[in-house]
Amino acid sequence: MKKITNRAVSVLLIAALVIVGVLTYVIRYVDEGEDWALYFSRLNTEATGQILDRNGLVLASFSPTENLFAEDRATRIANYHVTGDYWGRSGTGVLSAFWQNMRSFSHIYGTTRSNTGSLQLSIDARLNNAAYNSLIGQKGAILICNYKTGEMLCMVSAPSVDPADPDTEPEDGAFLNRGLSAAFVPGSIFKLITAAAAIENLDGVQNRTFYCEGVTDFAGVEVTCPFEHYSQTFEQALANSCNVAFSRMAVQMGQDTMVKYVKDYGFLDSHELNGIPTAAGAYPTDFVGDPELGWSGIGQSVDLVCPFSMLRYVSAIANGGVLVEPTLLLDDEENKSSRLMEASTAETLARMMSFNVAYSYGGSESFPGLALCAKTGTAEIGDGTSHAWFTGFLNDEAHPYAFVFLVERGGGGLTVAGRIAYNVLHTAVRS
Amino acid sequence: MEVFSQYMLTTSKFALILLSLAILIRCLRSMLQERYEPETWAYIKSGRETLPVNHWENIIGSSRSADLLIQKPGVRRVHAVLTRDDAGQWRVYDVFGRGGVWANGTKVGGKGECVFDGDVINLQGNMLRFQDLPQDKRIRLDASRTIAGKRFSPAVTLLELSIFQLFLLMQHAFFARAEYLAPIALGFFALMMLQWSCYNAMRIMGRSGFEVETLAFYLSTLGMSVVATSTPGDMYKQILLTIAAVALFLLSGWWLRNLKRTAAVRLPIAVGALLLLTVNVVASDAVLGARNWLEIGGFSFQPSELVKVAYVYVGASTLEKLFRRRNLFGFIAFSAICVMALALIGDFGTALVFFVSFLVISFMRSGSIATVFLAVSGAGLAGFLAVSVRPYIAQRFASWGHVWEDVFDTGYQQTRAMSAAAAGGLFGKGAGSGWLKDIFAANTDLVFAVICEELGLIIGLCAILAMLTLAFFAVRSARNGRSAYYAIAACASMSILLTQLALNVFGSLDILPFTGVTFPFVSRGGTSLLSCWMLMAFIKGADNRKDASFAVRPGGRLRSVVDDPLGPRMAEKRPKLSKGKTPAAKGKAAGKNTAPAKNTAAAKDKAAAKNTPAAKGGKAKGGRAAK
Repeated sequence: MKKITNRAVSVLLIAALVIVGVLTYVIRYVDEGEDWALYFSRLNTEATGQILDRNGLVLASFSPTENLFAEDRATRIANYHVTGDYWGRSGTGVLSAFWQNMRSFSHIYGTTRSNTGSLQLSIDARLNNAAYNSLIGQKGAILICNYKTGEMLCMVSAPSVDPADPDTEPEDGAFLNRGLSAAFVPGSIFKLITAAAAIENLDGVQNRTFYCEGVTDFAGVEVTCPFEHYSQTFEQALANSCNVAFSRMAVQMGQDTMVKYVKDYGFLDSHELNGIPTAAGAYPTDFVGDPELGWSGIGQSVDLVCPFSMLRYVSAIANGGVLVEPTLLLDDEENKSSRLMEASTAETLARMMSFNVAYSYGGSESFPGLALCAKTGTAEIGDGTSHAWFTGFLNDEAHPYAFVFLVERGGGGLTVAGRIAYNVLHTAVRS
Repeated sequence: MEVFSQYMLTTSKFALILLSLAILIRCLRSMLQERYEPETWAYIKSGRETLPVNHWENIIGSSRSADLLIQKPGVRRVHAVLTRDDAGQWRVYDVFGRGGVWANGTKVGGKGECVFDGDVINLQGNMLRFQDLPQDKRIRLDASRTIAGKRFSPAVTLLELSIFQLFLLMQHAFFARAEYLAPIALGFFALMMLQWSCYNAMRIMGRSGFEVETLAFYLSTLGMSVVATSTPGDMYKQILLTIAAVALFLLSGWWLRNLKRTAAVRLPIAVGALLLLTVNVVASDAVLGARNWLEIGGFSFQPSELVKVAYVYVGASTLEKLFRRRNLFGFIAFSAICVMALALIGDFGTALVFFVSFLVISFMRSGSIATVFLAVSGAGLAGFLAVSVRPYIAQRFASWGHVWEDVFDTGYQQTRAMSAAAAGGLFGKGAGSGWLKDIFAANTDLVFAVICEELGLIIGLCAILAMLTLAFFAVRSARNGRSAYYAIAACASMSILLTQLALNVFGSLDILPFTGVTFPFVSRGGTSLLSCWMLMAFIKGADNRKDASFAVRPGGRLRSVVDDPLGPRMAEKRPKLSKGKTPAAKGKAAGKNTAPAKNTAAAKDKAAAKNTPAAKGGKAKGGRAAK
């Protein structure tokens, strides 16, 4: 018997393996339990909460039994790309991005502790409504932030979706937030980058005279301007949006310098807006010849810019070269700021953009009541149409707003995007 | 009101955990701390040494693992086997047929030779005197043993379990839909009634060991809770099944009391099991990849679950038969057919359960690690073939460890199980309030996660601990088992249950591949519940503490005819020899034995038949000459 019963230990071996398995699970539970529990957070939730705009307007409210949005349909649609929805159809909304933070997990209580909270956004829902309406059905994106605090006031992408009506098939591309999740041909707004590189790399560029006879030639390939600008200063070249001058500058600086600046200013990276990832841009980084480099210096070639990256860039220019990272949260204490460019460069660019508005866009006659510093872009996309861009900032202590307006295939930068910008910025300043 | 019910819910969560821990700790301490004195059945005198015979099956030899250790020249490591049957008849066997064993001068063969009080067993010239214990002395010895459940009253533990069930019912009452309240309440009350009836029946029978039953009822309670939350419409069915399972448990335990009867029907049971599997292979339709269901008259059942019980029944063996090669080969063939049939059905999880049980049984029977290695490598090869033939198994292996990479297809169940289980934290969301129960096969394959989600990780771990406690108990009981049959059967049962538990729990948590076997007692499934309770009977059969188990005849009262009317009534002492026997044997019998009056003629004849004169005279002399 002893011979047999001694061998009963083999059962204890299985028991030992079970214990090893249990310990493995407990260790993994401690290590990864939070990720597991929050992965299906919609199912595991006990949370009750709401998302408010900066004025206290309810954009979304949820409880274990109900998921609601703003009562007003126009508000729901205009703010859809801010809120997202409960079903994760738009991956870039606040609901998706903050969902997990709104549900607490602890290893003791799991997700069983009901969590009540509200999240107040820096977004002004009424401004979003105005912005969305101003696009009058065109595809596009509008981003406005406070460059002193980083707070996003307006984030609109059209077309949009009514999240309270999940059954209606939305327009193609309606779930895409064009401001964050896409990159577009920048066109002339890219000259702000080439200009920054030129200020720091071409000695005495600000005192140089640029001569434009309407066309320039790089190894047999022409870069043209719509007009002959003849003799012009650096400042005037930007105001004229002179392709000849800026393509020559890009070629003179060389590809390495251009790539360095595009990279340093964050145009090639994906950034995060409160954890929502944004699209990276594009610029010819592998060796290309002078003609291509020339075109890339004026925002054509293979250049692509995400509107959000552009917003960061003009915010930094407006704020003396220091970038306060944009945020969707009101009074975001965790917000970071960092120097994106030399203070003197930023100052020069700001002055040039202000001059640009006065010299080319009609100054305060065209944009009464706004201390506007801006640059337009009419980005040809190769099929005869062009994206209309308008980007810049208000040099106004009371309204320190940086902005990017983009109308996809909208036509002329000033005539289309500029006009929309004027209306929306006016609303922003008034409110 | 809202606040009050929240308060009650929180209180009940803590109460469930405290009661679970209390139940487990009481059972653990009772099983592991109480003294397990061996029974003494007879004595062997070797020179001046007197060795107690503690089992019904004993190895006599010079090996350290021998039950009766005789370290003298000429004595082999395993020299002879001394057994006792239900009727009290002792026999000595020369298990390897190598010779060198004589009883009263008769050469003993593989078929054994009866020995009686005062007889001399000669091991290669070493004389051992066999001394049977008279009944009155055994009663006195037995009375000095510790009664099971003396330190930890099983009634208190069962009371704790009843309160546990009430709190659980209360939680269900919070979350269940109104139309299901009545069946759920009935389910838990039926379970309470059942466990207390079972307990009272034991008391009436004079048995006090109730830990195994308590743990099985604890796990069944969790199983009842799983049914209440996932398919409350099936509560009545679950109640009936639990009653049937407990009835089968009692019946099986009663059957196991008689070793001879038990061993006699092994072959018919083996044949029955094979038939059942054959029917399953031939007749059943594909059900979700594995064709392991049979449907008869609207009731579906899993034949493989019943075959598990049969497998243990057939696989266990008494000691004197263990040493026969043919015996093990028969078992290996039986196992191979079972595992192959399960593979044909496509139930690879159960095939693996059988295989682990095969390893445990064959190791306990042969002690050969080489055999185990051979079996494992053979199975590895077969498994490789299986994976290449059945692509869906390969898929399960492929997704193993990567379930989070495919949350909507191959990792669908596991990821949801892990998420829900983690969301429950340590205390759970409350019985009946989870969402995992609605996922496909949650109440069978993902049942650990359902428990963790609703009742918390601590109770989930308690369920595992309950099973581990049973395993430790089975191993500990096996040491004092009367027969190797009970020891092997108890260990084989535990190996099946533990393997199932491991495959179920760790499969759903992506620690092992997902095979879809059931968590014993807890997973929903009628046949599974029946087989689990029947396997418990084997563990009760090994519990040899004094007056502990209904499946074991009490040692002290064993000879009492009243105790078991079905048991054979045999003479307790060697009968007086009739005329025509050798004078030497006759003289010894006359000199040493005061023959009792109640000797029956049948016993006499039986004893006489064994002592053929030819065998006696010559070979006995040979033995003496060797000395």
